Amino acid sequence: MDKLDGQQLETLFRDCADDVHGYAISLLGDRAAAEDVTALAFERLYRSRRRLDRTRGTPRAWLFAIVRNAALDELRRRRRQGGPGFDGEGAPPDGPLPGAGPEGHPDPAEAIEQAERRATVQAALRELPPREREVVLLKFHGQLTNGELARVLGISESNAGTRVHRALTRLRDACVELARQEVA
Amino acid sequence: MKIVPFPQPEGMPDERALARIEAALHGEEGGGEVVAVTAAERADAAYWRQLRGDVRALAPPMSEEFALRLYEAVAAREAAPARRFPPRFGFGRALARMRAWLGSGMHARLVAAGGISAMAAIVTLVVVAPWHETEMLSAKMFSPHSSVEVKSALDSSSGTGRAAPKEGPVTPYYKEASRPEAGASSGAASAAGEASPARVQQRAASLTLAPKPAAVQSVADEVAQLTAREGGFVQSSQVRRQTGAAGSAELRLSLPSARLSGALAALGRLAPVQAESQSLQDITDEYDAARRKLADAVAERQALLRALARASTQGEIESLHARIALAATAVTRARTAFGAVSRRGSNSTVEVSVYGDAHGSAAGRSTLEDGLHDALGVLKTALAVLLVALAVLVPLSLVLGTALLGWRASRRRLRERALS
Repeated sequence: MDKLDGQQLETLFRDCADDVHGYAISLLGDRAAAEDVTALAFERLYRSRRRLDRTRGTPRAWLFAIVRNAALDELRRRRRQGGPGFDGEGAPPDGPLPGAGPEGHPDPAEAIEQAERRATVQAALRELPPREREVVLLKFHGQLTNGELARVLGISESNAGTRVHRALTRLRDACVELARQEVA
Repeated sequence: MKIVPFPQPEGMPDERALARIEAALHGEEGGGEVVAVTAAERADAAYWRQLRGDVRALAPPMSEEFALRLYEAVAAREAAPARRFPPRFGFGRALARMRAWLGSGMHARLVAAGGISAMAAIVTLVVVAPWHETEMLSAKMFSPHSSVEVKSALDSSSGTGRAAPKEGPVTPYYKEASRPEAGASSGAASAAGEASPARVQQRAASLTLAPKPAAVQSVADEVAQLTAREGGFVQSSQVRRQTGAAGSAELRLSLPSARLSGALAALGRLAPVQAESQSLQDITDEYDAARRKLADAVAERQALLRALARASTQGEIESLHARIALAATAVTRARTAFGAVSRRGSNSTVEVSVYGDAHGSAAGRSTLEDGLHDALGVLKTALAVLLVALAVLVPLSLVLGTALLGWRASRRRLRERALS
C-alpha cells in the first residue's frame, strides 16, 4: 500500500485530466455531464487517495476505474429519468469534429484527408455494439494496458485482451467497409 | 517430435495478435522481443496508433474555463487538504482525528476486525459464562416445575424456602389451619404463594464426594455429624475400606427440607464434589387428600360419639360402640397416612456417596500443583472461548463476505447495464 501524496496527485491530474475528460465526453456525449463526471472523479480520487493499493494497479488505472463508475452511474441516472443513454453517439453531437477544418494545419490536403478519416472512424464507432465501443474508448483514452483494463473492468487479463482485440478488429473492419462505400 | 498447436477457438485472438496490438499502442514496434518485426507488422502498428489518435481526437478538449476551475480545485485541495470543515470543538475535533486515522484502509480494517472480535467475545461470554451455567444447572435440577419454584428453592438457604410442613406437633393438622408453614414461609415462597398458595413439595438430593482415599472415613463421619447438626439423621450408612484400593462410603440422610440447601452447601465443603443432583416433586394433592381423609374420619368419629351420648337403648349403644371402634381405626390409619405424607414434605432424603480419589482432591496439593491446575483450567477456558468465538466469527465472516461480494457484483451488473 502506497498512498498518493500531493505531488503525485497533481502529476496524475496533469497527465490524465484531458484523457479523463475525453473518455467522459465520449461516453456521455454531453460536455456539461462530462465536466461534472471529471470533477467528481478527481474528488473521489482525492478522498480515496489513502486507499490506493499499487499492487492492485497503477494510479492511472485506478482513476479510470473511478471515472468509468461515475460515468456509468450518470448513464443509469439518465436512463431512470428517461434521458439519452449510451446510444451510439461516440462523440459530442454538437459542432464540427475537432480538427475537421483545414485551419491551422500545415497541409490543407492532409487536413481534409484527416477530417474524412476521423468522420469514418466516428461512424464506425457508432456501428460498434455499446460494450465494445466502451472498451475502445477506455483503451484509447485511458491508454491502459490490457492488465490495467482488466482491473478497471473487473475481468481477467486474457478476457480483457480478447475484448480489446475483438472490438478493435471490428472497428477496423467497419472503417474499411465505410471507406469502401465512400469510394464506391 | 512434432508439436501440433492447439486449435484456437473461433473469435479468440492468438497471443501474437494481442501482443502486436498491445506493443503498437504502447510504443513498441511489432510487439517487442516476442514478435518478429516485418514491414507489414510495422504498418499494422502504425495503423493502430493512428486509429487511437483519431478516436482520441474525436473528443473535444476541455474548455479552458473548466480546466482552470478544475486545476484550482485540485490545487486548493493540495494547499489545505485537512481544512475542508475545520472542527473547532473537542468532540468534533476528536471525530475528525478519528476519521483521519481511519482514513487509512489498514486502520479501518484493524478496527473492524477488533470490533467484530470484541462482539464475538461478548457473545461468547454471555453464552458460556459461569453464572449462566449455574442457572441452567439449577433449572435442570428443578426442571419439572416453574421458575418461581426453582428460585424459591434456591433462595431457601435460610432454611424456610419450602412450602412443606415443618416437623412438630401434628395434633391439629386435620383443621383448615393445619398447613401453617405456607404462611410462615420465606419471602420467595410467599411470593410464589401469591399465584400458587402453599404447595407441599418433596425434595431429594444426591451428592458424590471425592476426597483423598485416606480421608473417606473421616469425611463419612463429618457427614454424619453435619447431618445431626442440621437437625436430621442418618437413615443408613455403609463404609467400605479395602487394603490397596480406594475406600468408599454410602450414606442415606434425612434432613429437614427447610435446611436442605444449607446442608448441601456444607456437605460440598467437606470434599470436592464430583456430582450433585436434586429433585423436587409436588405432593400437595396427596397431602390435601390425606388431610381431608383424616378430617372426615375424625368428624365421623365425633358424630358417632355425639350419637352415643344421645343413645337410649342397649342395642343402639352397642351398635354405636362397634361403629366408633371402626371409626377410631379409620382415624388412626388416616393419621398415619397423613403423618407419612407430612414427613415426606418436611424431610428430604439425601444420598451421599463418598469415593476415595487420589487425583480429584484438592486437599494436600502443593501450591505449584494448584497453580498448574489453575493455569490449565484458564487455558482450557480460553481455548473454549476462542473456539466459540471462531464458531461465531467464521460463519459471520462468510455471510458478510458473501453479501459484500453479492452486493459488489450486483452493483457492477447494474452499472454495466447502463451500456446496454
